[in-house]
Amino acid sequence: MKLLTHNLLSSHVRGVGPRGFPLRLQATEVRINPVEFNPEFVARMIPKVEWAALLEAADTLHLVEVPKEPIQGYEHDEKFLRKMHHVLLEVDVLEGTLQCPESGRLFPISRGIPNMLLSDEETES
Amino acid sequence: MGRSYKLYPDSGLDGNQLFFSLLGKVFFTTCSDVNMLKKLKSAERLFLLIKKEFPLTVSSVNKGKIFHEIQRLINDDPGSWLNAISVWKKLLELDAKNEKLSQKDANPLKRKVGENKIIIAKKLKIEQLQKIEENRECQLEKQIEEETLEQRDFITKREKFQEEEFQNDREKATVTHNQNNLTFRVSCRCSGTVGKAFTAQEVGKVIGIALMKQFGWKADLRNPNLEIFVHLNDIYSVVGIPVFRVPLASRAYIKTAGLRSTIAWAMASLAEIKAGAFVLDPMCGLGTILLEAAKEWPDVYYVGADVSDSQLLGACDNLQAAGLKDKIELLKVSVIELPLPSESVDIIISDIPFGKKFKLGKDIKSILQEMERVLRVGGTIVLLLSEDHHRRLRDCEESSIPLNSKNSYTDEPGIKKFLNLEETTGISETELSSFEASNQECLDRMSPFGSLVPVECHKVSLGKTDAFIYKYRKSHSSAL
Repeated sequence: MKLLTHNLLSSHVRGVGPRGFPLRLQATEVRINPVEFNPEFVARMIPKVEWAALLEAADTLHLVEVPKEPIQGYEHDEKFLRKMHHVLLEVDVLEGTLQCPESGRLFPISRGIPNMLLSDEETES
Repeated sequence: MGRSYKLYPDSGLDGNQLFFSLLGKVFFTTCSDVNMLKKLKSAERLFLLIKKEFPLTVSSVNKGKIFHEIQRLINDDPGSWLNAISVWKKLLELDAKNEKLSQKDANPLKRKVGENKIIIAKKLKIEQLQKIEENRECQLEKQIEEETLEQRDFITKREKFQEEEFQNDREKATVTHNQNNLTFRVSCRCSGTVGKAFTAQEVGKVIGIALMKQFGWKADLRNPNLEIFVHLNDIYSVVGIPVFRVPLASRAYIKTAGLRSTIAWAMASLAEIKAGAFVLDPMCGLGTILLEAAKEWPDVYYVGADVSDSQLLGACDNLQAAGLKDKIELLKVSVIELPLPSESVDIIISDIPFGKKFKLGKDIKSILQEMERVLRVGGTIVLLLSEDHHRRLRDCEESSIPLNSKNSYTDEPGIKKFLNLEETTGISETELSSFEASNQECLDRMSPFGSLVPVECHKVSLGKTDAFIYKYRKSHSSAL
């Protein structure tokens, strides 16, 4: 699971609503994958990023050199884009958990795939 | 003719002309080389056209007479056969050469293939998915035939020898000489009245013998040099040679296909995928749709979801084999409970499972509701639905649009209306299927779903069954 994905995931436990975001990340196995750098692609992702969630996750994974926010003219700033590229796309959480901040429910991540299936009682109506 | 066609920009075919696209087959001429042709994505198979003729007239009694007519496909104009085969050989040679040249500039080779070839690509009954600009003049210099079946379509290729290369007499002589050593196999398909009167084997035999007599080729059922495909029905008689040994639909980059790759690609191409988009397949299965999409539109963020471990494992495997692990993320989530914020997804493409395992009814509604929720305004949804799904969707709609009274034709395999083609020879007075009309009828069967507005609908064949590709666009925020 990449951090770009984590940045989008939200808990769907019943009654939780928007307080189900962001999910608290815990990782027991992380892999850094080199991914081909595509500056235009990264630039397009930037506006979609929820920064607080990203920084929290990056912090948990002890990542360094993570930009704190988008900078002016980021579209053309290769250094910035490369850092974002690394954080969003090259860090892969293989094993760990995601926790709903409101209900405490834990969702396992296994082989890089988060399992967010809810049981019937847990789903919203 | 008043029909509009457009060629999908990413199909990679340039210098291509006419085409005629009917219920499953596309006939076109092209100057493209093999590399380009290999990139055709929504066609099942590609053939070189040798012959396209009027359909056989089948009188009930005289089999011998009909066999004679069949033989005329070969004997009337053997030159056209030899021409087609030499073009086919050229293509194969170029293909082999291209494989050897790793990164060499393809232009010199391209220039060599300067001939105009007529090719029929067999689409898997994907209506309107390969269309060509109406502005191009219909160069109906060759006959055009239509065929209405899935498995085998014939492409005929006519070669216009250009002055540059192939005119070389020496080459011609060599080619003719070599052609005597060809081994062949005839694969025949008969439908309509012809099909009722003869078996495929009978016809295949007649043709085989005629070929042996005419050209001196030897039959080899196991591993022939040349495969000849013959398709006879009520609309035309078509003969062609497959351009590639392996069907186009069989993708090198897909290890285990779920949905047919051609349909998967077609769905992706309808979805208006743009660079930087977030594309979700919430019932991805083995990931075929995402694989096809990611190959064609790589600068996009793809996420696939499924509830089944085995499917996800298979998808993972596929991603690995295709080298697309970096482009496609997987989640184990349920489509009716997506852990995504509202209006966070740009595009949703999905093959909604059919079959007994899958509960219909209420589920299709919940599925669409959840998809609607996560889709951003202006986003598109492209779904593959069975006849059943379609019916249930329609039934549970509180739609204000009155249902089209033509709904009862649901059992029709395809719209068999035809347009008149005046200038063409080789076709009897049948008309061609009107894609616009059939699309409109299909569209009329779709109703809006909440804020999802129907955009397009295409009936496609999955081999044994038919299905529908639906496209919706989200017009406004869903009121919750």
